[in-house]
Amino acid sequence: MLQTLQVERRVDPHLSIDRYDPEAELLLLHMGPQHPATHGVFRMDLYLDGEIVVKAVPYVGYLHRSVEKLCEKLTYSQVTPIVDKNDYVSPMTNEQAINMAFEKLLGIEVPRRARWMRLVFAELQRIASHLLWLGTFAMDLGGALGGGSTVFIHSFREREMIMDLFEEISGARFHYNTHTIGGNRHDIPAGWAGRVKQALDVIEARIGEYEAMSLHNRIFVQRTRGVGVIDAGLALELGLTGPMLRACGVDHDLRRDAPFHAYDEVPVNVAVAHGGDCLARAEVRFAELRESVRLVRVTVDSIPEGSINGGKPIKLPNSIKIPPGQTYVGIETPRGELGTYVIADGSANPYRLKIRPPSLHALSALPYMLPGGTVSDALAILGSVDPIMGEADR
Amino acid sequence: MKHFVDGLHALAMTLRNGFRKPTTVEFPDVIRPRAERYRTTFSLLYDEQGDQLCIGCLQCERICPSEVIAIKAAGKKESPVTGKKRGYADDFVLDLAACIYCELCVQVCPVDAIVMTREPETPTFSREDLVLTMERLYANGKNRQRAWSDGTKLMAMQEAGRAAPPPKAAHHAKAAEPAKTAAVEKAPAAEKAPEAAKANEPAKAPEPPAAPATTAPTGTEAKP
Ligand code: SF4
Ligand code: SF4
Repeated sequence: MLQTLQVERRVDPHLSIDRYDPEAELLLLHMGPQHPATHGVFRMDLYLDGEIVVKAVPYVGYLHRSVEKLCEKLTYSQVTPIVDKNDYVSPMTNEQAINMAFEKLLGIEVPRRARWMRLVFAELQRIASHLLWLGTFAMDLGGALGGGSTVFIHSFREREMIMDLFEEISGARFHYNTHTIGGNRHDIPAGWAGRVKQALDVIEARIGEYEAMSLHNRIFVQRTRGVGVIDAGLALELGLTGPMLRACGVDHDLRRDAPFHAYDEVPVNVAVAHGGDCLARAEVRFAELRESVRLVRVTVDSIPEGSINGGKPIKLPNSIKIPPGQTYVGIETPRGELGTYVIADGSANPYRLKIRPPSLHALSALPYMLPGGTVSDALAILGSVDPIMGEADR
Repeated sequence: MKHFVDGLHALAMTLRNGFRKPTTVEFPDVIRPRAERYRTTFSLLYDEQGDQLCIGCLQCERICPSEVIAIKAAGKKESPVTGKKRGYADDFVLDLAACIYCELCVQVCPVDAIVMTREPETPTFSREDLVLTMERLYANGKNRQRAWSDGTKLMAMQEAGRAAPPPKAAHHAKAAEPAKTAAVEKAPAAEKAPEAAKANEPAKAPEPPAAPATTAPTGTEAKP
């Protein structure tokens, strides 16, 4: 049920003002690439009038590692561990996106057990990713929330539990390589579901604490309300997805609108907030945290029995050849729609592989959101976008 | 007054956290428990008779996405232990500095010669120490605890359950059958489902963005 909205075309503000100020009345501030608030290496040129940002020009590409080209050189069986490193805050969804594209081209049927496992992994990963966002966002707001870096340390403490759970699955804490073409590589160990629920009990109880420290915290609300406003029309024009879009009041979530994995069997409640400011984005992510906890709870016990891999396990690098064709697969990651576009030419390597990172599109909204705010607002806005440069620059 | 109450809340939370069990450990003295499947550096194994297991088939070198394995295959040689002719690797170098720990080399090894270890850390004093030569790999096999996985186990895990084919369901297609069985299997989820879907319905129409100062979440937050 994708909605069609009338989109009004607007001129990119960083084209509309001269890049250089001949009278030098504006102060040019290079923010980044090594600024701690930029989550990776990301640079913005801020043109300041006093403390007010007049114009912002973002520059991406500092973390470009040529992943797409590298994937063209590698065979299909070798690509999964490479794309793990794109969105290094939610590696699970990266693996899923790329493998789903290959599976679609090959026409492989993923066993139902594997699809349910992928759903549970994706939702756990969403919790971990949003916890990381919460911690770093609170740091961007000056660390004044709850005293020092309390929120940061607290949310990382709970994120660690999820990494422990993934470690039990795949043996790695972060770059799992647990998906493969046709299903998963590692089965769930005995007693895992119980430990997941134990961890969820702790996390769910603590979400209330985070909310007390952020959404119900006066400083937090004052720093975020009405800051970095973006309206629904512009959000759609810029191709924003995920929490950024839902915070503008657009009810769009691929988990419900174009179900993948087992989302067609498990209904998802989509969180929407209105206002399009930093506070709305925070509210959406908090609602998603709770929703993901609920989803994992209802699914982790009912993962069906059966095989976990519908294709052939990887044995030789060249054993998987995809017939000529092209496809696009988009899935909902914690940051929005992660798309994978593959062109296959019948060989063992992808002819072309394009990754559509949600973070890059989210960053393209910065020139619209920053002007009019102060420098400290700029950091709050950047934090609320939740960009992962590894994914934006690939 | 409001500020005062807020302050009390904050103090209460600080106190509560003050009495919680610490989540960190004093690292070099205490090592946190590792999962059973935890994997780090590599080792090559000997068979029961003390013969080198690796047959120099180059599978691991070919699959490695980072191209960090370099093997010189020896071709067929007589085994010093059994006297039978079989393949050997003359030289085997694995450069850990660029390894991404993907476990693919372990998965493809036909004779389970290369496995990962379960030692917690691999700190070294120099970069050269990260280049695992053949001696180091075999030494690791002797004196480091090996990880859970090897090629056979990983393959078996992925092949398991294949005999009984799963219910037919195209990856993206809405399969009616599995949906029904799912509803039976997970009663609590299915009960909540229709309500949740309904509750979501009215919020679907895109509303014009409200004034920037008002942020009212209309999303259906999951109540535990
Ligand atoms: S685990 Fe390391 S050595 Fe083995 S295939 Fe992966 S990158 Fe290569
Ligand atoms: S370690 Fe295994 S895969 Fe690698 S060359 Fe030796 S036998 Fe072949």
